[in-house]
Amino acid sequence: MGKIVFAGAMSHVLDPDYYDKACGALGRTTVTECMAQIAQMGERFSATGADALIVVADDHLNAFSFNAVPAMCVRIGRTVQRMVQDHAEAFDKVLDHMPETYPLHEALANEILGQGMQAGFDLAMSWEAPVDHAFLSPVNVMHGSRPIPPLVPIWINCFVAPQPTARRCFALGRHIARVVAGSPWKVGLIATGGLSHFPGLSVPRVGETDTVFDRRLIHWMERAEHEPLQALTADELDKSGEHEFLNWMVLLGAVTPARADVRYFGELPRINMAAVEWRLA
Amino acid sequence: MSRYAVNSLLYRLKKDPAFRATFLTDPAAALAGADLSADERAAFIDRDMRRINELGGYLHLVMSIPGLAAH
Repeated sequence: MGKIVFAGAMSHVLDPDYYDKACGALGRTTVTECMAQIAQMGERFSATGADALIVVADDHLNAFSFNAVPAMCVRIGRTVQRMVQDHAEAFDKVLDHMPETYPLHEALANEILGQGMQAGFDLAMSWEAPVDHAFLSPVNVMHGSRPIPPLVPIWINCFVAPQPTARRCFALGRHIARVVAGSPWKVGLIATGGLSHFPGLSVPRVGETDTVFDRRLIHWMERAEHEPLQALTADELDKSGEHEFLNWMVLLGAVTPARADVRYFGELPRINMAAVEWRLA
Repeated sequence: MSRYAVNSLLYRLKKDPAFRATFLTDPAAALAGADLSADERAAFIDRDMRRINELGGYLHLVMSIPGLAAH
């Protein structure tokens, strides 16, 4: 019988130079501290000897053009490529030094897709979509020079309205937990992004965060109070800059009723950085 | 306002270096076939990413187009 052996969530722009430029010395210090905690989480994950790592993250309008924007999409195939961007700017630049190709756990991805169809989750699938920093920054910081196990990237549409609801994301997590439980594999699961940043997705509000809202989310996660989290609305998430918390909702559904332990929380003018790990039975 | 027209154009500017080069040289000509309102077209020609964001351009695109990014 399979099992989720590790669950963690973390911010996903993990680059001291980026935050030094955006927020000065405090930015560099804060992200460096956060990365140190994520690296320790990675050591604990590696110690589990997991067969696969599911990564739930969002697309920053990189992988999916406006040809189609899937609400939820599973990456299938045998390998996935790092996004390539010429003359990369801002958060795209953090990818530059990372390996270009990563193995996928094709069988687990296919089970999530196939069993999803039977269970009422009509998930989109992609053989070609590349992954950006939302996936690769946390994965690389977690593993350092250690081998990265086969990945199962899952995209949640966090930005292009209408997004899936928090409750639906939580339900997807429940589905993933059932698939893993019925499989022969030990599986890690991470969700990335956040916490509060870019409220309203508005250029003039870049630099604002909602720490009170972050504290509320953390309070509920620490106490495993998952119902109020499922009730969060798209409007609340947008106004508070918590768009990417939808990724975390998938993880919460997969591990409920586990309680969260905050490994790091740091406030910056641009974004509140966090690293959280769940106590799994 | 056309959310699709604005954002598909932003996406192409980010992902298509040849189109981006054409736009930087002669923006009016590059936009000739685009289904934009007058306000949208003016914002692109002015390279005013804040205005494009106000008009529906997604934040992550207006912040990350090489050579045009809003900061």
